[in-house]
Amino acid sequence: MLNRKQTEPQLSKYLHAKGRALGLPIAGNFELTARCNFDCPMCYVHLKSEDVEAAGRELSAEQWISIAREAKDEGMVFALLTGGEPFVRSDFFEIYHAMKQMGIMVSINSNGSMLKGEVLRRLIDDPPFRVNVSLYGGSNETYRRMCGRAAFDDVIENIAALKNAGIDVRLNVSVTPYNEGDVEDICACAEKLGVHMKLASYMYPSVRVNGGKYGYGDRLSPEKAAAASVRWDVLRFDDETFSKRAEAMAELRLTEEPECPVDSDEGVGCRAGSTSFWMTWDGRMVPCGMMTFPVVHPLELGFKAAWQELRRATSEIRLPPKCKTCPKRSVCAMCAAVCVTETGEFGKVPEYVCRMTDAVISQTKAAYEERKSENGN
Amino acid sequence: MEIKKELIKREIAGETVLIPVGKTVYDSNGLFMLNELGAFIWEHLPEADIAEDICRIVTDEYDVDLDTAKRDVEEFLQRLSSHGII
Ligand code: SF4
Ligand code: SF4
Repeated sequence: MLNRKQTEPQLSKYLHAKGRALGLPIAGNFELTARCNFDCPMCYVHLKSEDVEAAGRELSAEQWISIAREAKDEGMVFALLTGGEPFVRSDFFEIYHAMKQMGIMVSINSNGSMLKGEVLRRLIDDPPFRVNVSLYGGSNETYRRMCGRAAFDDVIENIAALKNAGIDVRLNVSVTPYNEGDVEDICACAEKLGVHMKLASYMYPSVRVNGGKYGYGDRLSPEKAAAASVRWDVLRFDDETFSKRAEAMAELRLTEEPECPVDSDEGVGCRAGSTSFWMTWDGRMVPCGMMTFPVVHPLELGFKAAWQELRRATSEIRLPPKCKTCPKRSVCAMCAAVCVTETGEFGKVPEYVCRMTDAVISQTKAAYEERKSENGN
Repeated sequence: MEIKKELIKREIAGETVLIPVGKTVYDSNGLFMLNELGAFIWEHLPEADIAEDICRIVTDEYDVDLDTAKRDVEEFLQRLSSHGII
């Protein structure tokens, strides 16, 4: 089965729950750079080199290390180093080693293209908790179309090497108009590599890099995004699991926990700004990487004061009242970041996601009936 | 007792956790949580040669009989060794 059940370690959940009650920043995301050696259309961070200079300045290694130390002193246990492509920074390992040495559990997001040679050797010497590789397609052809580089073979080879070295690798897959035909191939790849994968076909509008246009993105229609998501369910679940899921969905329930656990009140509900924070490459702190506000400035205020201010501002966010009472809420991917990137406001209903939710429900039903009739019962 | 893995002890949200550093590869849970007794034993591991030494240190500090201490200490050491820590 493709989907080895991977629930979050109980301990991490427990620490987040305690941290929530105590107001601690248990997890931090550090966008070390906006630069990348790929050029993907749906990226919410990546800027061209000339734009990076115009937009601001990357923090130095010393600045990252000092923010991490302050965050650790406030309770940070988990850190995710992301980008852009974090390995394009020549001082990546300086930051990484320093954070690990502080007793922080460090994970890394990467496109996988640079995880070889010296980089691989240094990772094996001081292993990360996990490496999440974004897999953009099932062939060099798709990679060329989507990322501007035919890096597929390299990436696969690097993933296999990481895995052989005993490092926990996971695949993150984003489905877009450039690779929607590759879902089967990508699943087969993950299966062959023996690594856990996660597929997302909902793409947040790239508000951060598209000049602030809400609701806009180089992405699939809600119906096509739903189709990719249901396709993945069909591929990854055996008959029994899929039936259970489909039957639950018909009653507007989910059988597995969503990626970001969100409660269904009008507040933010997930960990963003409650036990986790996101540092952008130019030194701003936001609740979640998809959001542009509320924003605070730890370089000016100090981490502790910035974190308190972020918590306060996040606690004031109200999501759409309509979503609170919507019967589809528990099967819907709506969250604070969705609302604000789709509509520009936290309190407005994200229509794209309503359409996608409706399509997921109806397409799951159709796939369920098809599977049933194929099985002749 | 020799601690084979490089781990850092941290207090987080009122809990004591051991976090791997350096070459130590994470196991599935990544980190390791200690209760009060576990944290106490952990502090005294370097000065103990055998389990009995730890039992003695525990009964000196806590108001428990030797049998209970033995059971708790053994259980804890077992947990550490199953993770390759000692
Ligand atoms: S986004 Fe639409 S479908 Fe989802 S909970 Fe809100 S109203 Fe319901
Ligand atoms: S706001 Fe949404 S995307 Fe951001 S962390 Fe919360 S649930 Fe996840």
